[in-house]
Amino acid sequence: MNIPLNIDFLQILLHMLNFVILAGGLTFLLFKPVSNFFETRKNYFADMENKNREASEENERLRLEYEQRIRDAEEEIQQRKKAAEKELTEASAQYLREAKDKAASIILAAEQEAEIRKEHILDSAQTEIGELVVTATQKLLSDTVTPQRNIELYDEFIRLAEDTVSGERSKHDKE
Amino acid sequence: MKDEMKKKRRLFLVIWLSIIAVILIGIIILWPPGEKHESIKEVMLDGVLHEHNKINLFGLEVNPGLISAYTVTAMLLISAGLIRIFAIPKFTFVPGKFQTVIEKMVEFFADMASKNSHHRPKFVGAYIFSAGAYIFFSTIFELFGFQAVTTTGISIALPAPISDINAAIALGVMSYVVILGAGIICGGVKGGLSVLKDFSLPISMSFRLFGALLSGLLVTELVYYYVSLSFVLPVLVGVMFTLLHAAIQAYVLATLVSIFYGEAVEPRPKKKKKEVSE
Repeated sequence: MNIPLNIDFLQILLHMLNFVILAGGLTFLLFKPVSNFFETRKNYFADMENKNREASEENERLRLEYEQRIRDAEEEIQQRKKAAEKELTEASAQYLREAKDKAASIILAAEQEAEIRKEHILDSAQTEIGELVVTATQKLLSDTVTPQRNIELYDEFIRLAEDTVSGERSKHDKE
Repeated sequence: MKDEMKKKRRLFLVIWLSIIAVILIGIIILWPPGEKHESIKEVMLDGVLHEHNKINLFGLEVNPGLISAYTVTAMLLISAGLIRIFAIPKFTFVPGKFQTVIEKMVEFFADMASKNSHHRPKFVGAYIFSAGAYIFFSTIFELFGFQAVTTTGISIALPAPISDINAAIALGVMSYVVILGAGIICGGVKGGLSVLKDFSLPISMSFRLFGALLSGLLVTELVYYYVSLSFVLPVLVGVMFTLLHAAIQAYVLATLVSIFYGEAVEPRPKKKKKEVSE
């Protein structure tokens, strides 16, 4: 059959056979394996992304949990601090009370001791006065002794003794 | 001092080579033409129709394009087999240079298929990948100038397979059959009929391929026919034309097939039966 343009059906079929073989071969040798590899890689990265997202969510959950724990701990610290401050205030008040009581008892004891000492000083002063009287008497007796002189001396002695006792008493009261 | 010496030496070399080149070109232009087996008219006519230069294939006289087609197919399948055996098992999630090239080739056609045909893009992806690879590499094939002996005993360079109209028709018809088949499978008889409406598709596809490849071939034949045009010019004309044709035609056919396939397999909304309410 003479077809223009040198068209030959047999050769067209031979070309078709050639292309079918080529298309099949290229599809199974190259296109499918590479496409499958794309799919594998896509799945791999999708899995990785999922894992990362899950890990990220877990991290977020842990972060929130730890933040909550920190908040709880801070709250507990505040409560303990308040309790400690209250305890401290009470303790200091107690201490002050005790200190005041102690001071009062010390003052009372000191006053009592001072009273005792005053008594003792008065006693010793009377003793000393007596001794002075004796000494003075002995001295006077050893000097010129006249009846007039004796009377003057006794008067003077009594006056001196009264001054001395009154002076000692006022000094003691001041202390 | 050394720089000046180098400059002088370079200048001398350039002038010397330029003089030699000019003299050689003059000699070649003035060289008396040798005895040619065919006139330019015969060469051009044979380039288009392949009526005279036939090659024997198992006792059958075929066009050289068919031999080219089988050679290209064999080379592509061997390369694909080697890649499948040695390269693909070693593919890593972070690709190297070679893996990137292979991936890009597959990805390009797979993406084109999925963009243009949203339904069942895998099949058409594989088809346009094969067609694109075939058109691209078979067009580049003519650059290598593999020699074959015709039945008349003349040695010719094997042309691009698609410069043979039979190869172009085969590819156009097969693409149409793929689209028609997909239309019938996905849309039933109606789908098939809608594809049948575009009956000019195989003819336009075939002749587009044939014409595009043929124009490049004719220009190249013309350039090669004259010895005086065989310097530098073939590099620009032949290589650039061939590479451009290869890329453009592969792209055009792949795009057309994927678009028509997409239209054919697109699910059609079922018409609701009119309710008999009145």
